[in-house]
This record gives sequence, C-alpha cells and structure tokens, in this order.
Amino acid sequence: MTVRDRHRAMLPGRPAAGLAVLSRNRPFLTLLIVAAVWLVASATSRGFGSWGHLRYLVELAAVIGIVGAGQTLVMIGGGIDLSVGAILTVTAVGLPLLSSGADPSGIVAILGILGLASLIGAVNGAGVVYLRVHPMIMTLATATFLQGALILLAGGSAVTVHNPAVYLLGNARPLGVPAGVVLWAVVALATVAVLRWSRFGARVYALGANPLATALSGVNVPATSVALYAASGLAAGLAGILALGMNGQGYVGIGDPYVLTSIAAVVLGGTSILGGLGGYAGTVPGAVLLVTISGLITVVNASPGWRSILFGSLILVLLLVSGREVPRR
Amino acid sequence: MAPPILEAREVWKGFFGNPVLKGVSIALEPGRVHALLGENGAGKSTLINILSGALSPDAGSLQLDGRAVSLTPAAARRHGIAVVQQELSLTTHLSIAENIGLGAYPLRFGLVDYRALARSADELCRSVGLDEDVARPVGELSLGRRQLVEIAKALFRKPRVLILDEPTSSLSAHETRTLIGLVTALKRAGTAVLYISHRLAEVTEICDHVTVLKDGACTADRPLAGVDAAGLVRLMVGRDPGDLFPRWDACPAAQPAVSVRGFSAGRTMEVDLDIHPGEVLGVGGLVGQGQEDLLLGLYGAIPASAASAVFAGRPGLPGGVTRANARGVAYIPADRKREGVHLTHSIADNLLLPGLARGAGWRRRARGAEARLAATLAGRLSVKGDLDRPVQALSGGNQQKVALARWMPLDPGILLLNDPTRGVDIETKREIYAMLRGFAAEGRAILLASSDTPELVHLCDRVAVMRDGRIVAILERRDISEERIVALAMAADGVGRAA
Amino acid sequence: MTSASAAGPRRSLYWSVQARRNRGIRGLAVVVAGFLALYAALFPGLLTLAGFAKFSQTWFPLALTGMAQAMLMLAGGISLSMGATVSLGAVVAASVMAGSLGVAGGIAAVVATGLLVGAATGFIAVRLRLPAIIVTLAGSFIVGGAALLVLPRPGGSVPPWLSDLLAGSTPTAFALLVVVMLLWKLYAATPLGLSLYAAGENPVGAHRSGVPVEAALICAYAISGTLAALAGLFVAAQTGSGDPVIGQAFTLNSIAAAVLGGVGFLGGQGTMRGAVMGSLLLTAMINVMFFLGLPPVAQYIAQGLIIVGAVALPQVAERLRRPRKRRST
Repeated sequence: MTVRDRHRAMLPGRPAAGLAVLSRNRPFLTLLIVAAVWLVASATSRGFGSWGHLRYLVELAAVIGIVGAGQTLVMIGGGIDLSVGAILTVTAVGLPLLSSGADPSGIVAILGILGLASLIGAVNGAGVVYLRVHPMIMTLATATFLQGALILLAGGSAVTVHNPAVYLLGNARPLGVPAGVVLWAVVALATVAVLRWSRFGARVYALGANPLATALSGVNVPATSVALYAASGLAAGLAGILALGMNGQGYVGIGDPYVLTSIAAVVLGGTSILGGLGGYAGTVPGAVLLVTISGLITVVNASPGWRSILFGSLILVLLLVSGREVPRR
Repeated sequence: MAPPILEAREVWKGFFGNPVLKGVSIALEPGRVHALLGENGAGKSTLINILSGALSPDAGSLQLDGRAVSLTPAAARRHGIAVVQQELSLTTHLSIAENIGLGAYPLRFGLVDYRALARSADELCRSVGLDEDVARPVGELSLGRRQLVEIAKALFRKPRVLILDEPTSSLSAHETRTLIGLVTALKRAGTAVLYISHRLAEVTEICDHVTVLKDGACTADRPLAGVDAAGLVRLMVGRDPGDLFPRWDACPAAQPAVSVRGFSAGRTMEVDLDIHPGEVLGVGGLVGQGQEDLLLGLYGAIPASAASAVFAGRPGLPGGVTRANARGVAYIPADRKREGVHLTHSIADNLLLPGLARGAGWRRRARGAEARLAATLAGRLSVKGDLDRPVQALSGGNQQKVALARWMPLDPGILLLNDPTRGVDIETKREIYAMLRGFAAEGRAILLASSDTPELVHLCDRVAVMRDGRIVAILERRDISEERIVALAMAADGVGRAA
Repeated sequence: MTSASAAGPRRSLYWSVQARRNRGIRGLAVVVAGFLALYAALFPGLLTLAGFAKFSQTWFPLALTGMAQAMLMLAGGISLSMGATVSLGAVVAASVMAGSLGVAGGIAAVVATGLLVGAATGFIAVRLRLPAIIVTLAGSFIVGGAALLVLPRPGGSVPPWLSDLLAGSTPTAFALLVVVMLLWKLYAATPLGLSLYAAGENPVGAHRSGVPVEAALICAYAISGTLAALAGLFVAAQTGSGDPVIGQAFTLNSIAAAVLGGVGFLGGQGTMRGAVMGSLLLTAMINVMFFLGLPPVAQYIAQGLIIVGAVALPQVAERLRRPRKRRST
C-alpha cells in the first residue's frame, strides 16, 4: 500500500468506490478480521457463537467504544487522553454519591455528573492549549489528581447505585438489544456525524495535521482544543454511567482498563497516533475486536498472566499486520 | 583530463509512478567545480540523493573510480562522498564540535577523543569562517551559522567528492565570500565539487562545468566558459528571462484599506503604514528585520499594539486571526510546509479549510457545494489533477498556489504575503506575479514582504524598507531600484546579509 | 562565557560542553536545594547517616526509572511499560534468589530479563516502525503478564543480608546511584552513546551522517529496560519479597521525573543529570508532604498539580518575557 493510497483510505468523507478501495480501507479490514475471528471461534468453541454470547461481547465493547469515541476525537486532533480511566471512575463512583430523594428518575444526577466529566475534560484541554503542557503529561497529571480526589471522596470502598435511570441503562433490553448497545449506537452516529459533516470535525482534522497552519487559517485553536478534550471527558463520563449500570457498583479502579483499551481500539481502527488522519468508523470494529480477543482468551482458560501476555501480544501482532505508522520525521 | 571519480550513467528514478529522473548522466571530475542547475522539481534533489547513496536508482548505474557500485549512505561516506543538504542534518542539542564529528568521532580507548575532536573542529571552523566556541550547542546558532557547521562537518571526513546543495542560501555576503574561497581551494587540492545554487552570479564565478536539468532530463552538459547569467537562465527555462513580470498600471484608491500609526509587534517597532486598495506595497530589507512580525502582527497572529489603526474602514487592530479574517484580511506564510498547508490532507480539504474555520462548529457541511467550490478554485489557479491527492504530492509551486487559492472564497480585501515565491519555480513565479497584479486591479490591498529584490522592483507600487524593526524609508514607484533598496537596507552596518 | 574562545588557552572541550549542558538545569537545581533544605529543616534526621540512607533508598528506584525513561525520551520514544518492567524485575529477583542460584544468579537473571525486555521493545519500535507509545502500551500487558507468571501472588524472598546491605542503615543506594551515573557518563562518551542525541532528535540527518541510528536507539531501549529491572530488584530487596504489581506507580512517576528534569518529548533534548535531579525533586516533595502529615492520598493531588505547574511555569514565563518565540526557519 503506497502512502497515497493510505491517505486516500484514511481521509474523512471519501466515499469508497469499488472493491479495490474497500480492500485498502482500514475500518473495513478491521471489520473483516473481527468477522473472521468470530467465525473461527464459533466453529471451534461451543457457545462462542451463540446469540447471547455475541450480544454480551458487543455490550462489553460498548464501554470501550464509547470511551474510544472521545479518544478518537482527541487523537485525530493530535493529542492523547490518558485521563479517560480516571474520569470514568469519577462518574461511576461519584454518581451514587449524588443520587438523592429529590431526584426520583435520577436524570438530574446523571446530567450533573456528565457536566462534571466534561468540565474535567475541558480543564485538560485548557492545560494543553493555554499552559502548553504536553497532552500526555497534562492528562496523566489530571488522572493522578483525580485518583487522589476519588479516594478522599469514596474512601476506597465500592458504592452501590440506586439510580433507576442507571439501572435501566445497564439492564434494559428493548427489542432484545441491550440499552448500552443502543447508547453506543447513538454515540457512534453522533461521533461520525461530527467528524464527517460538521465544521468542527473539519477543524479537528486540520488541527491534528498541522496546528500552526490551522491557527493561521483562522481556526480558533483554543476553543477547538478545549471542546475536543471536553468531548472526550463527556464520552468517558457516559461510559462510566454505563459501566456503573452494568456492574451495579462503582469502585476506585473501575476505569483503569479503559485507558489502554481505548487507545488500542482507536489505533487498531486505523487512526494515526500522530493526528490528522483516521475516523470513528474504525474504532467501532476495533473495540469489538478487543473484547473478542479478551473473550477468546477467557475461553482458553489460561492463568491471568498468560491472558495478559496473550492480550498484549495479539494487539501488537494486529498492529503489525494492519499497518504501521509512516514516521513523520 | 582526469577520469571522473563519481559518475551516474543513464539514471532513472520515479516516485508514486511519476518519473522524476529520466536517463540522467553526470560525471564529477577531480579538481573541477560542477554546477547543477534546474528549477524546483526538475530532479536535482533526487539526483543528489542517488549520488550520495540515500536513494538507489530504478535503472542506470553509478560508477566510482570507473567501477560500477551500488551505494548506501555509509558506503558513500567510506568512499569519500560528502553532501551538504538544504535540510540540515545537525542535532541542535549537541555542540558544534560534537556535530562536526558525528558519525566519525576520533577515538581513544573506545571513547570519543574530545581533545582531538576539538583540534580538528577548531581548524575546520576557521577554514569555513565560523568564529564560534566549538563547545556551543548548535541550537543557539543562526541558520546561516548552522549552514557553516554543516559544511565543516562535510569537510571533517576529507571528502574526494563534495556535494553542496544551495550552500549560500542563508549566508551573509561576507560568509559567502569565505565559502567561495574555500571551494576554490578545495578544487585546487583535487576535490570534485558539485555545486547547486540559484545565485547565478556565484555559479558563473566559481564553476567550470554545468549540467542543467529540466523535468528530469538533462538539457545541457557543457563547460561554463563564455556563458553569463542570462545565458544560464536561457539554459534553464529555454527562453529569455525578460518577461517574468507582468505589465501593469497603477490604480490605487485614495482611501487606505489599512492605516496604522505607531504599530509595534514582536521585532517590529513604531511603524506608520498605509496600504491602499489597488496597490502592491512591498516590504524589503535584510533577512529578519521584522518583516514577518509586521505581517503577523497586522494579521493578529502575534500580540500587537498601535497608537491608532483602521482596518477595512473600522477602527482598531483585529487582535486575533479569526477577527482579522472577518475583516477581510488574509495571510500567506513563507514557510508553507509548516504554516501554510496541511501536507497529509487532500488538496480539496486544504482549499476548503479557511471557509470551514468560520461559523459555528456544529454547522453542517454541504459536501456537494464544497466539491464544486474546490473544483472552481483549482480551475482558476490551474492546479491540475485529482483533488483528493494529498498536498505533499504537489510541487512547491503548486503547494503555494493552493495556499493562495484557499483564501479566495472569503474575498479578502487585504492580502498579506510573506515571501510567496521562496523556493518556487520560475513558471509558477510568473503565474503568481500575474495573479497578484490581478488582485490589485480588482481593488484589493496587497502587502508583499519579499527577500527577492527584483520582485520588489518590478511588481510593487511602493516599497517600504525595514531595518532593525523600523521602516527606514518608503520608496515611490519612480524611485524604486535594486540599488536604492539594498543601500537603504544595509545603511546601518554596511556589511549585512544580501537581500 | 566567552573565556573559552578558540584563541586563548582553553578549558577542555568536554568540560566546556558539560558546563553548557548544566545551564538548562540551574533553575531546577535551586528548586531542589530549596526542597531539600525545607525537608532537612522539618526533619533534621536527614543529616544523620541513617536518615540520609533512608532518604536515598526512597530516591534510588525513582532515580533509576527516571533515568530509564529519560533514555527513551532522548531516543524520541516513551515507555508506558516502565511499571510492569519494575514489577517483573522484582519478582524475578525474589524468585531466583529464593532458589538454588542465589544472589549472584538473581542479579544476573534480573539484568538478563531487563536487557531482553528492553531490546525486544526497541526492536519492535525501531525496526518494525511502530510508535513507541503503542508498543510499550501492549508491552505493559505482556511484561505485566510475565510478572504474574513468575509469581502469581506476592512471594519469593530476598536474603536478609542483601536487604540489609541495600535498604539498611548504610547509604549503599546512594553509592550505587553514583556508580550508575558514572557508568552513564562513560556510555555517553562512547560514539554510540553520544550518537543517541542525534539519533533521537534528527534520525534522518543522523543516518545521513553515518550514525548507526537503529543500533543507537535499540541500545538505549535495552539499557532502559535493564535500569527498570534493576529498580525492581531494589524494590524487592526493600520489601524482602516479590510482588507482581508493585511497580505500577513507576510508569507515571518516571515520566514525571524526566519531564521535571527538563527532558523533552521530541527526542535528543535534556540531560540524564536533569532526570536524576527531577527524581530527587519528586522524592523530596513526597517526603515533605508526608512529613507535613498530609494523607498519602493528598499526595496524589499535590503531585498532579506540581507536575503540571513545573511543566507549565517555564512556558508561561517564557511567554511573559517574550511575546512570541522566534522561529529560526
């Protein structure tokens, strides 16, 4: 695959024409890998291919996918968000603390906690753009800060949620589809729409490819960056509510796995870690691929150590197979 | 005559299916300075990369001392081939000496022998005319001095073949003289030198032989004796150089589009300036006298202040890029790869960005209308081919056209251009010049900062000359001449950078 | 400053270069001295031999991992598997030393493990051209999994005499740190070591200058891995046994130490002594906070704030001093 084809496949809003283009399309390739893995696993492992199990996998993928929506935006914009895990934990632990009798449906508490998550994200963005702190440092520092704040708030024990709306989100199955998957579909549509069809989306791609040229083109870079990280915070918050609903309990550490998995899903889906190229269409199969791998590893019935090794190795192999970064320097 | 040390025979090379070199031959002989001329995109860089082993040819052969070889960068260095490229290979955080020795450090007990390194670095710095403490980090040096370090680094390996790619582009007149003396001395010592430069006076002065490339093919390979600068241009473009600039009539309006008093931004201090619709106001001077800060300040990209200011009929400075755009101000930067275009994005996306930068972020993009707009813009600027190609696939000239064209949908009344023809080939220069005068005739106000003095002389209604951040004079059209501009630019120190 | 001009009798080039490199960390040195003075004022015991020994023991592993991280950042990379490598070093040390191979075998095993992990990471990142952040992200799963394989739960043992030697009341740790620093100085004076700066900052230019770029980078990864594993050995000696997740905090803290020490993200920028000083600052801060009676949790919060502050302050100060950074191109 030449550099040019690569760009063609990865640029936003390029309608695919014909199989030749499709075969170079990273999101589509990731989808093919997922399908292949599912087929082989269903054939070899009893129970893997059952409707219930597949539905369960997609439900698990929803959390990664929703976190990955924000991560995709930030990474296309040339940054990275290592605080998504901490923000997810903050919502999952903070929401039960917010719920009160005056709010029977629980909606107000949800809106409040989502506002907080977005605000934390906005602080990340402000640090990156106004204080010029490297995104990795800024978001890591935020994560450290939140980790401390959380232990102070929650005292380290698990908190049970009594919010009806959250319970519904975690357990309802309208028409047999888990509510979490429905939420993911909504988030996915919104993310794709923003990236492909909004002016904001165009600015995000430009920002990731060349921040200086973007600023000189008249894009309001500070506003765009802050909005970007706020969106990532919001996505992590939504994922936190979903995880809380699925678990019934929030605890410190609930969000930890999602930092690495969200980045992995984004990169597996073909978004460049250098920014400016990619899209959410790849992150969706990327997230499903990740949970499928974890699912398979569980089926293998290995020890936690082997599971972790297998997981890491498979991510590496998939990345090597599905294409490498073209170094910019 | 001595047999050539390094020779390329019938070399072919292509990228992305486009042939860049089409059967080029060149022979570098000892004791001869060989000029390689050609416009941007003619294939000079590719040829240099092949001669230095950084690229291997698709077809054809390389001969070293009469034997066919296939070179890698390491092998080329071992055989005594040294290159000074335009893209510097220096490490800013290492000292001058550590940079000069990089890749070939003198050793003592397996460690870098700093004493020996210091000795040769000192000596080399003196020979290239660089009087700096060799312990100084390269990052603290100006671009011109870095260029000298790069040359010293090439000489450190005592090359038999020395390839110099635009070595004087950022050197002062004095430094250039030293370099020319050095090249002459090397030639006498039997080094084969390949010299690439856009400064034709230098070429006629020190080169013995010339190879001209045009569109990847060799159009001349002959001794230089008896060829003057105009003759060289004829060799390069295949026609007389006279008609580069368009003919035009002055038509400035009385009411200025931009009027600032006591304007300061960055290096620019206390500038009074009026730019009228319908005129091209040139800004000249030595490199780095505050021209760029003047433009960026007016554009709102850096903090600026003014005693009084009127932009497009409204008082006050714009104070921000977005607000400047809203008042019809557009800026075209000099370093287009870093500041002008998004290299990895498609031509269409680049053309549309300034439009998309405006308005609320959630507004829906009208893809159909966008595609039509991009096609229209590309057509007007004769940017040919698929608009989905990334901009990096275009030549420098075409990239610059994209950087210009993308502002047109906003119909800017005030254009700020920073060295728009730097590194642009002659044909595109001609197109850009015609375009600029066209814009002026449409009643736009144009501020053109340029390091190319002929451009100021032949294209501008008035020229402001800057020195030390201040405008020292504004020349009216009848007073503009290269001599006046250069004299005004250098009045302070006498020996400065050649404009 | 111009005393070392080419004409007169001059200081040797080496020391002149080193002196210039010190300039960038003078400000940091002042801050470190301030914190140490504060700590000594609060806790005069620091000035006794035993007090100094204890202090240098809390500093040592952070200094090693800070150096390990700085090496990778000089190479233009970064490691998110630092913590996992420390854990692996700890469990390998504890389990081998508990067996028949003894202390010598344990140290050899730890060094071999670190070298292998580092070299493998470097090979994948450099030769296969995957971004370091992704490789080490996947690597954190693989290395962490390997640690779980060696010891699924805390166990093994380090001979008490070794614990006494390293973590007793003699400042052995400080002496070892001096040795490590001297070894680094030696390595940085070899052509390969010195070339790391060039290979990290400008790989294309370094390659054209004849630097074996890939070798220089992979060596840096290997050394980095070794340092991290040795930090694990020390941690095992401190606790007397091996814990497969003990290293987690080192990932963030090592990055913080390097960044505080002025090591940049773009490769080739910064010094090892800066990173060590950064780790010293971090250690002194944590100790001061602990001494002031702040709960351990509040340390997270303070740490997050301090990291952002330390990175942002020079940027903000720079902008206040000069309206705009001059661009050299």
